[in-house]
Amino acid sequence: MLSGDTKLVERCLHGDDSAWEMLVNSYGKRIYNLSYRYTNRKDEAEDLTQDILIRVYQNLKSYRAESGSFQNWILRVARNLIIDHYRQVRRFPQAGGSEELETMNIQDDRAPNPQRVAEQAEASLFLQSGLQSLSPELKEAIVLRDLEGMAYGDMAELLNVPEGTIKSRINRGRLELAKLLMRRRSQLGMQG
Amino acid sequence: MDCSKIEQWLSEYLESSLPAEDMDLVASHLKACSSCSALADEMRSVLSLCHQYPALEMDPDFVEKILLRTSGRPRTRSFRERLQQYFVRPLLTPRFAVGASIATLFLALTVNLMVPRISGAVSALSPQELLRLLDRGVNQLYGEGLKAYEAKNEWQAQFSRFKNNTWNNLRSIMEQMDGPVQGRRKSNESEPPKENAPKEKSSGVLAERIPPA
Repeated sequence: MLSGDTKLVERCLHGDDSAWEMLVNSYGKRIYNLSYRYTNRKDEAEDLTQDILIRVYQNLKSYRAESGSFQNWILRVARNLIIDHYRQVRRFPQAGGSEELETMNIQDDRAPNPQRVAEQAEASLFLQSGLQSLSPELKEAIVLRDLEGMAYGDMAELLNVPEGTIKSRINRGRLELAKLLMRRRSQLGMQG
Repeated sequence: MDCSKIEQWLSEYLESSLPAEDMDLVASHLKACSSCSALADEMRSVLSLCHQYPALEMDPDFVEKILLRTSGRPRTRSFRERLQQYFVRPLLTPRFAVGASIATLFLALTVNLMVPRISGAVSALSPQELLRLLDRGVNQLYGEGLKAYEAKNEWQAQFSRFKNNTWNNLRSIMEQMDGPVQGRRKSNESEPPKENAPKEKSSGVLAERIPPA
């Protein structure tokens, strides 16, 4: 994977546009989803993704294979831009509406069951609102680990913090979400 | 064991990444403590929610926009997309719809006009009709054969008549030609033939030159 990405980067630097397209196809969706987790808005996520990929394209020369994987490099660029965007906006992202959830392409091969779709939409809404209530550090840890499936080592390299800190943040984030879910269930139980 | 300590380990416990001893400790605590057990269950639900969280797909037009703004090269289209672009989309235009409607109407009218003939042709394919056609065909063929035979006989008779006439004519001509010749032969038999005269003459000369012994 590492050597493959490095070769693609080299090809890009030699003017091979198809290699750049392959990189966009490989990482575009991930960056887009990462941006969406932070902004919680599709239009902002698209703008951010575009800015990130333009920045990556302009700075491909600065990538050094010796300093780490391309994945971490591109995610670091993405993270920096997302943080800049967050600072510019200076607000906690608003929870996305159900309309956006409906337009999400739910990756499920099973036949669409209305009840299941409704439950999934409800769960996604809960998770979105729960993530917005976390502090940026905890949210970042949960997004990268539980939504993006990154390894602890890669996260430590990306965030430039020890692995123990990463694990601690993830645990705290999960605990907060679990407590939030517990409170929600109890509220629903009281209402019922 | 303290509940706060269990909370610190809960995430790793659910990922089974704790050392075996600590795993046992947490497991035994969860059996005994209902609040920590409930918290662990909720954390499992959170992890399950995270894994089921839907991923957004990038719109192809959005990818195209990014590529055009970076490398300036448009997106490579798959075979299916190209098929849609060049064949399916043109078929879905109003112009094609109008053309298809007119063609269908024309086809329907043509079929409507052709149906009686087709049905007539189909009825001719019944066994009785086929036998009748076959019988008619055989009779016609037999009649044609008879005609041809009669014509042949007529031609043969004409030829034989012509041959006989010609032969008779030739014979009469030959007889006419032979008549004077025979007459001359008869007259020549009384007189010595002229062509023998030189012989006789020569013999005469010889007779003159060579005296008989």
